[in-house]
Amino acid sequence: MENIHIEGSHTNFFIPTVDFNSETGYCLLEGESFLEDTIEFYDPLIQWLEEFTTEVKNPLTFEIKLTYFNTSTSRSILDLLNIIKDYEEDGGEVLINWYYDEDDIDMEEDIEDYMLDTGLEIEMIPFED
Amino acid sequence: MATINKKLSLGQSLFSEEIRISYKGPVDGKIITYLGDYIGVVNTLSEKATKKLFKIFFELAENISKYSSEKIKLKNGKEVGAGTIILKETVKNFILVTGNPIKNEHLIPVLENSKNINELDHSELREYKRSVRRENKDENHSPNIGLITVALTSGNPLDLEINPIDEKTSYFSISVKVDK
Repeated sequence: MENIHIEGSHTNFFIPTVDFNSETGYCLLEGESFLEDTIEFYDPLIQWLEEFTTEVKNPLTFEIKLTYFNTSTSRSILDLLNIIKDYEEDGGEVLINWYYDEDDIDMEEDIEDYMLDTGLEIEMIPFED
Repeated sequence: MATINKKLSLGQSLFSEEIRISYKGPVDGKIITYLGDYIGVVNTLSEKATKKLFKIFFELAENISKYSSEKIKLKNGKEVGAGTIILKETVKNFILVTGNPIKNEHLIPVLENSKNINELDHSELREYKRSVRRENKDENHSPNIGLITVALTSGNPLDLEINPIDEKTSYFSISVKVDK
């Protein structure tokens, strides 16, 4: 299974940095997400995660360090987290860390809402901007 | 048209100190990211308020890009929605106003959604946003999750105005306050 690495950028659109590693089970989504075609960008990540959780089945550490994401992206994040929840329910070992700016109350609420939606335990880690 | 001008505070106040950003034209990714970054430059808000303004701006600008019935073809062949974006500053708050023509078939779900939004308190809005996101319906025919996000982020009601242009199209403008 191939790893995914996408270098983030902040130009005409905001592309997040993606680092999905099948050998270590470490997955990172970092930066800002405002994309020309959100589904086109996130579909391969969703497929990768489905393959990892159904075939590789190693412990998974999923880290989110997004400082901004639009509502289109928020749907795709929910899809990713739902896959992780299914994996956890099937006995997969899962750790989710979500880093957020301590001043960003909206982001804090977003994370709480994702926990309610998915039933996942997400480690909320505030940082100073 | 007079109402639209009033809404957008065009006319005399266009060149006053109140206007921080004024843009009319095609709204593509390049413009959205450029103006979005500029929001951080033109205001002296706290980091917290700047983040709110930034988020609201992106959602409203994306709505113009997606739903404006006025399409402009760019050099690269891509058609994008066009509209007006104004950022005004008052003593107590920033006011972001966007306006664009919209097909009435797109307007109806927006109006129904906005009525709901303005009747809900903060925790009810969070629940509403979660339920809309969960359902993940066709964006053209389901409540606009972007507007729910705007209301949640702003903490103030959405101020909407609709002026019919013809049988199929209306001019839609929305004004959102962000407290300083």
